[in-house]
Amino acid sequence: MTGLPLNIDPQQILLHLFNFTILFGALYILLYKPVRDFMAKRTSYYADMDSKAEDALHEAEESKAAYEAKVQSFDEEARAERAKMNKEVAEQRERQLAQAKEDAEKIVSDARTEANREKDEIIASAQKEITEMVTDAMEKLTLEQSASDAFDQFLDAAEAN
Amino acid sequence: MSKQERRKAAVVFALIALVFMVGAILTGGGTAKEETIQEVMRDAVLHDINKVSLLGMEVNPGLLAGVIVSGILIVFALICRIFFIPKFTMVPGKFQLVLETVVGLFDNMSKGNSKIHGFLGAYIFAAGAYIFTGTLFELLGVQAVTTEGVSISLPAPLSDINGAIMMGCLSYLIIMSGGIAGNGVKGIGKTLKEYSLPISLSFRLFGALLSGALVTELVYYYSSLSYVLPVLVGVLFTLLHALIQAYVLTMLTSLFYGQVSDDTPAPPKEKRRRKNKKVINKTETAEPAEAAA
Repeated sequence: MTGLPLNIDPQQILLHLFNFTILFGALYILLYKPVRDFMAKRTSYYADMDSKAEDALHEAEESKAAYEAKVQSFDEEARAERAKMNKEVAEQRERQLAQAKEDAEKIVSDARTEANREKDEIIASAQKEITEMVTDAMEKLTLEQSASDAFDQFLDAAEAN
Repeated sequence: MSKQERRKAAVVFALIALVFMVGAILTGGGTAKEETIQEVMRDAVLHDINKVSLLGMEVNPGLLAGVIVSGILIVFALICRIFFIPKFTMVPGKFQLVLETVVGLFDNMSKGNSKIHGFLGAYIFAAGAYIFTGTLFELLGVQAVTTEGVSISLPAPLSDINGAIMMGCLSYLIIMSGGIAGNGVKGIGKTLKEYSLPISLSFRLFGALLSGALVTELVYYYSSLSYVLPVLVGVLFTLLHALIQAYVLTMLTSLFYGQVSDDTPAPPKEKRRRKNKKVINKTETAEPAEAAA
């Protein structure tokens, strides 16, 4: 007995303490720390994997957004191109139409000129022909008149005879 | 296994048990009891009769039990470190899961209670393992010879009051170290406010484990109580109080550690009073409104 109640012995308390300190050190080095380190390693491994997956997702979302933006820009570009083409086609059509109109007018005017020319020619030739015919007729008439006059004269002469 | 085979096995098992019981009764009667139950119980409390020799020193059997428990735990840890931990995989197997759950339990307990938790986690892990294994150790009934040449069954290390005082006081010192780490000199004052803590921690542990030891001693002392009852008293109660005591000490240690290491300043008293007044006013104004409604 040490004099303390309940047989409390400081030496034995210290021996218990010594024993527990060794146990604490051994358990910490051999079991607690390695297992906790492994758990931390796994946590960081999965966190890393998670962040990588998140990054990949983020990247995919970004590329999706970029793709969508590109698609949209393509659409807009296509729309603009279509509008431009339509405009060009319209212009070209207008131009062609104008050209056709011009051509048509030219053709018409040419035709008209030609027709006028032909008409003039026809008129001229007709006039010429008429003139010729008239001349001929006149000549004939003149001739006929002279013949008939001659004949008449003859007849008259004959009668007179 | 068919029904007949099961029946045969049950009969054989009952016969073996009967033979053991008869043997125990026949051989038990021959030897005179060296100690009365009063002596056994007195010794369980005071450890003033049976002493064992440890490295030439006369010590309580609890200390020898503590050394053996530490040895068992260290060998187990060594086996785990050499054979299992290097083979740990990202997807854990059954044994790895058990180890990780136990370590994670104490690690999370320390993290949940204090911001400064590195050392606390390691301490409560060791303390929890020591208390749990030490309490279960009494189930093994490891025999030792006293200095007087009497064979005794080694008790739980913490049913020795010196062991319990060591654990209680060490826990208190750890709590104080948390106070110093978190609040400096102020932390010492905070810890000293809980001056009854080392005594309460020590004697709670001692009382709980001693009561277990006394009940077990009582049950095993009388051969008439040594059948069937020890299955409940010896195994289930020991298992239960091993778990409870390990949990209680580690939980209390981490709770007090968190409390004294917390450096958040307490709100000034004036504000608290004002708040209380506001609450009172609110309730006063709410009551007529409720009555009107």
